[in-house]
Amino acid sequence: MSWLGRLFARKRMEMELDKELRFHFEAQVADKVRGGVPESEARRLTRIEFGGIDQIKEDCRESRGTMGIESTVQDVRYGLRQLRRSPGFALLAIVSLALGIGANTAIFSLLNAILLRPLPVQSPGELLLFGDGRAVGSTEAVPDGSWRLFSDAFFQDFRQKDRTFSGVAAVDSTDFAVKASVAGAAYQTTHVNLVSGSYFSVLGVPAFLGRTIEESDDSTPGSGPVAVASYSWFQRHFDGNPSALGKVIRIESHDYTLVGVANPGFSGVTVGQPADLFVPLSMEKAFSRPGWNGIGDKFFQSLYLIGRLRPGVTAAQASAETNLLFRQIMRSYLGPQPSQKHLADLAHASVELTPGGRGVSPLRYAFSLPLKILMTIVALVLLIACANIANMLLARGVARSREIGMRMALGASRRRIVVQLLTESAVLALLGAAAGVALAWKAGAMLLHMTTPGPDSAPLNVSPDLRVLGFTLGVTVLTAILFGTLPALRTADRAFTPALKDGRGSSPVRGTLARSLIVGQVALSTLLLIVAGLFVHSLIHLADVDTGFDEHNALVFTLDSSTANLPHGPGEMRSVSLQEQIEERVRAIPGVQSDSFAFVVFHDGGWSDQVLFQGIPRTPANGEDVSFNITGNGFFSAMGIPLIAGRTFNSEDRQNSPKVAVINQTMARRFFPSSSPIGRRFGIGETPDHPGDIEVIGVVKDVRYFTLNEGPMMEAYFPSTQNPGFFSNFVVRYAPNANPQEIISPVRHAIAAINPNILVDSVTSLEEQVDRTLARQSLIAQLSTFFAVLAVLLACIGIYGLLSYSVARRTSELGIRLALGAPLSRLLWTVLRESLILLVLGLAIGLPVALTSTRILKSLLYELSPLDPISFAIAIGAIVVMTLAAAWFPAHRATRIGPSQALRAE
Amino acid sequence: MKTEDRFDLPQGTLDLLIMRVVALGPIHGYAIAQRIQQMSREALQVQQGSLYPALHRLEYKKLLRASWQASDTGREAKFYELTARGQDHLKAETENWKRLIDVVGLILKGTAEGIS
Repeated sequence: MSWLGRLFARKRMEMELDKELRFHFEAQVADKVRGGVPESEARRLTRIEFGGIDQIKEDCRESRGTMGIESTVQDVRYGLRQLRRSPGFALLAIVSLALGIGANTAIFSLLNAILLRPLPVQSPGELLLFGDGRAVGSTEAVPDGSWRLFSDAFFQDFRQKDRTFSGVAAVDSTDFAVKASVAGAAYQTTHVNLVSGSYFSVLGVPAFLGRTIEESDDSTPGSGPVAVASYSWFQRHFDGNPSALGKVIRIESHDYTLVGVANPGFSGVTVGQPADLFVPLSMEKAFSRPGWNGIGDKFFQSLYLIGRLRPGVTAAQASAETNLLFRQIMRSYLGPQPSQKHLADLAHASVELTPGGRGVSPLRYAFSLPLKILMTIVALVLLIACANIANMLLARGVARSREIGMRMALGASRRRIVVQLLTESAVLALLGAAAGVALAWKAGAMLLHMTTPGPDSAPLNVSPDLRVLGFTLGVTVLTAILFGTLPALRTADRAFTPALKDGRGSSPVRGTLARSLIVGQVALSTLLLIVAGLFVHSLIHLADVDTGFDEHNALVFTLDSSTANLPHGPGEMRSVSLQEQIEERVRAIPGVQSDSFAFVVFHDGGWSDQVLFQGIPRTPANGEDVSFNITGNGFFSAMGIPLIAGRTFNSEDRQNSPKVAVINQTMARRFFPSSSPIGRRFGIGETPDHPGDIEVIGVVKDVRYFTLNEGPMMEAYFPSTQNPGFFSNFVVRYAPNANPQEIISPVRHAIAAINPNILVDSVTSLEEQVDRTLARQSLIAQLSTFFAVLAVLLACIGIYGLLSYSVARRTSELGIRLALGAPLSRLLWTVLRESLILLVLGLAIGLPVALTSTRILKSLLYELSPLDPISFAIAIGAIVVMTLAAAWFPAHRATRIGPSQALRAE
Repeated sequence: MKTEDRFDLPQGTLDLLIMRVVALGPIHGYAIAQRIQQMSREALQVQQGSLYPALHRLEYKKLLRASWQASDTGREAKFYELTARGQDHLKAETENWKRLIDVVGLILKGTAEGIS
């Protein structure tokens, strides 16, 4: 019989056991009666001889295999009954557990999705990424330092010579968001990854349908006009219909044949940036951007490389060989007579091989530390919740000592009682965990939205997977042990003392343990409040940062020209005149003050390089990269960037007129500390022999370019007439009294009237664009505040509970003192003093911990010391006020005890 | 309250005694206790608290099997009997036991002589 079958046969067995023992009893009685003892006496004697019949039954059950599962089922039922009997306690405990476990699950699912989850590829542990993946885009510099992006030429040469990898895959670091039309349907934004012919085979991702991209697609430029879809894109567009294969997809005026669908779950190696389509690198020219040299250039480095280790080769061997080959190959690209500087750079260059099984992710670097800190915070919150429940269980243990004493007298062993009490805790924890997981399910999407605000949150799967559920189960078990063990042991021990004798269970007040738990709660809450205060204060600092431009009353339109088939190339002025036409027409809309196209508005990435002025020596300060922008004539007024000296661009600055630039104050100061830069000439690049053909015509105020918390940077602006191209950012400044909603649709119409194929991707206010860059900081600030408040509330519930309990226990004492005329204030003080001592002890532990540990947060705080006195003061103030408030109610109740109530209490 | 055993049974001996008694034919728990008491000439008194857990343990190990039958008084009682496995086990354990007392006796005798 299986244990399950036995379980169901339990009732029958119980009956039989009872019947068997009763038979023995009756037989023994009958024997005694036969020996001349009166029946009632015989029964009494037999009962004495028998001893605890329940004990015998228990031992019989135990000698069978059913014991474990049977008693567990019994205990679970009993536990549920006990919880139903005190719904207040059950609700409070389950809600605090749900919040604690839910918070842990939610943060862990995010942590799992961003930091831990391996790519759905074959043996991800064997994959190594070249570099740490912390760069996106392209660079043409000669490698120096730790290198992250690689050229196609290097990829090919390396592959040929290397012996440590069984294969190397390449993928362009850029996520190409383009407009694609499937079989003539409307254009839709589609994310394309450019991949090498080896990509799918090295990663070990099979085709779900058709085939993946193969070496033959990637042999010569233009040889592979094919595309492989990700499974989710295929589902969205074709609803799983295999007739999709062979369909033509049009992307930026090139046609690609859909040849296959990748295995479900795989959407590229960039976490949080899933690809819709994979296209061979051989088609790179079709995705080229203005100013790109493309993969034909040996120094056009834009690829991530991922190698799969050959069996038996260690990562250290691979690293040695890779670095050797890297220097050799790069040296050969420098030509027969390389400059000293290039040789020196290359001598410093290296490739760090990092684990590639989890892919690359820009989110990972931004959120690694914040997520770990949040994880710590929620773990502490759960700890506080555990302390609370432990305290409640201790109180219940006292109340239940009669019940438990009774069960022990009936023959239950101490072990059995402890196991039963622990089962009750486990039931509680599981109920809390179930509610918590439901909560986390909802919260996961919300959290993700907070990490990447805007119309679309990062496409990341944060729904709990097996790892998350395993984690939650582990946390739950740990929680149950944490809050259940001590109270269970205490309760069982207390029942050993003759609890039955005294009705009211007046064993010593659950003293030190309960109080230490409260002290711990206060200490942890203080720490969490301080941390939250620091994050909020830092966020306030950041939000107050002067961006240099005027964020108010401006809209940013993001345009997509990929379906408009605009010609591009050096000297191609048609897109410039198109932009000028749009600018002119939009300026005519009532309420619009100024407008301009721009390469970069704020936080759009960028383009940077060194510059050199004629006759100015190189210094460390002026040798830093200058961030460049390309703008229309109205940019400075549209952004509200004040002009300090000279002039901004005007209609005189045309394609063939002298090249001009506007620079910012930092750049002016670094190159010309004591003279005017107006009229001086510079060139882009690091070589001193360039023509120096760009003339400075104006100086403007510094603005933030990449992020709010960047330090002073050199910036230079060039007119779009002299750097032609179509730029996707379009800034429109409107009059302060105009309604932006009434501006948006005329602007859309104006753009459509000029060229109907230019699509408006999104419209946001400049303010919103700035706020979005605070996503990470506001996520931490909001969540840490939420959890700190939660922690304080839990601690207050704990204090309230403890004091209510002690007041209730002292009802008679307090009532008699009151009746004898003790002043109210003294009674109040008697009760409040207890909470004050706990508060002071809690602060005495919490503050030193905070003082020594907030240092960890330093890199996340903007212009704020981790020992910021304001945050500390507010946290201390909050905890003092909350603790006293929690203590006030029970104290106040103590002063209301009537004499009759006091007498009835004993 | 508790009737003391005349002497303590070594660990595992009770199982052996029960099987020996059961080997004589189907028998219920109460009779087993009585029988052991008789056969030991009142030297051994088996407590219910030890008897029934032992019976259930032996049944669980499939050394005994049980069935409900009418007893002498007409009431239904649970009768135990040895399984084939139980018989083998009893035989082996009895041999073991004999060897053990021989060896222990030998040593104890030697010691007694040495002392005297």
